[in-house]
Amino acid sequence: MSNEVYIVGAARTVFGRFEGEDHDLAEEAVRGALADAGISWGEVDVAVGGTNGETKPDNLVSRLGLTGLPFITVRNGCATGGVALLTARNMLTGGNDIACVVGYDNHARGAFNASPARYGIGEWYGQTGMMVTTSYFALKARRYLHEHGISDRTLGLVSQKAFAYGQAHPKAWRRTPVSVDEAMQSDPINDPLTRFMFCAPDAGGVALVLARGPRAFDLCDKPVRLAAVELRGRRPGSFEVFSPWLSPGVRTSPSIDAAAAAFAAAGVTPADVQVAQLQDTDSGAEIIHLGETGLCTDQEAAYARGDFEIDGRLPINTDGGCLANGEPVGASGLRQVYEVVTQLQGRAEGKQVPGTPRVGFTHVYGAPGISACTVLTTTA
Amino acid sequence: MTAVVDETLFASYDPVALRGSACSQCQAHVFPAQATCPMCAGVSVVEVSLPTVGTVWSWTVQRFAPKSPFRTDEFAPFAIGYVDLGPVIVEGWLLDSTAWSIGDAVELALAPAWTDADGVVVHTYGFRARA
Repeated sequence: MSNEVYIVGAARTVFGRFEGEDHDLAEEAVRGALADAGISWGEVDVAVGGTNGETKPDNLVSRLGLTGLPFITVRNGCATGGVALLTARNMLTGGNDIACVVGYDNHARGAFNASPARYGIGEWYGQTGMMVTTSYFALKARRYLHEHGISDRTLGLVSQKAFAYGQAHPKAWRRTPVSVDEAMQSDPINDPLTRFMFCAPDAGGVALVLARGPRAFDLCDKPVRLAAVELRGRRPGSFEVFSPWLSPGVRTSPSIDAAAAAFAAAGVTPADVQVAQLQDTDSGAEIIHLGETGLCTDQEAAYARGDFEIDGRLPINTDGGCLANGEPVGASGLRQVYEVVTQLQGRAEGKQVPGTPRVGFTHVYGAPGISACTVLTTTA
Repeated sequence: MTAVVDETLFASYDPVALRGSACSQCQAHVFPAQATCPMCAGVSVVEVSLPTVGTVWSWTVQRFAPKSPFRTDEFAPFAIGYVDLGPVIVEGWLLDSTAWSIGDAVELALAPAWTDADGVVVHTYGFRARA
């Protein structure tokens, strides 16, 4: 037990448009998580921060206190939150008992604009209009739905579910419900995906306090065990953003590998999971990731049955996910963990999973083909 | 001489063919050509002319004008897709239509992309329905 790592404090900001400085979001989240854990910044042994923006997470010490602690910065696209959490977990060795993890971003409006050169791709790819994240999501969704016999209408069901959860969550950004028909009939962005089937870049911050072994139970009545956090990259056969070519044949995915590794490390199976968060950058992504993580392989029927609603078999993205929260890239993976932690502790701010869920799961996925998954558990 | 978005993409212009690379070790085909094989990490690759006919593997329509460095004379929604050429699946424009189905038979073609400052029409590659 002394080497087990627990989450003993968690906080998030409201997500949405934000006019202040990026560090305001990070500071609000960190102070919230410290208060939730009942500790001061001076008690933190190590820190990890992630952002996709231009600010330096490690300079948050100028606001929080110059305690001399080691502060690692990570930057891994949409998977940044998961990587930050993994890094913090790995730093809890030796004399380090308490870690603080923070993720934040404050993005400009509109789709992300990626530079071909930054990805090692020729300028032609951007000049001809193919260096676009939303077209990738559409191409991937179209193919997955085709291969698995899933109708376009299921994309609408994903959106309806997400915005219903978002409506109930006081810190979500998009809080207006959307019907299946509204989702299907809204402006097409990249067919078959419409405006209500995409998340948008926005602003937000999330922080967690981790503690090792017995310290966790001193600090928290109901610590949530970080039973596993695993990160994987792409192998031959994966279908990633900004790919001028794909290999034919067997399809692989870093999400398949990261999820399998997380379940193995935690000693649980997908069937044990009672509440989960999946990367839902678009409605198609949630459907794909249900399959790739092993949580559900008959998605069409499962959405129709309401399996993923709050009283269903496996509530998914209970805070509205990326669709209703938007995606401040650095914060998004930690938002997922925050939501599952509060669900397992029975203090969710939006819809609370009934009963007493004890096993949760989170999944982030991003460019250029990486995924991080966690398994979170509580005891009685 | 045909003006194109990037000469390294093409093995020939008449008839048009894309230039890829093939790994001497695992035979994996890659586009555009590169000096190493990402599939098996091999370093012995040869440049090849890719097949010019295939089938639509997935497709979408780009409904909004992409941000810079996208170039066009006048934006109109256009289709893009992945085309299964056999040894490799290549992403490119799908020409002359915004309504496609997975499995549609297509062939490689040159398509005008934009007009440069000197009035020269710059071309890229795309795929059009086979007659």
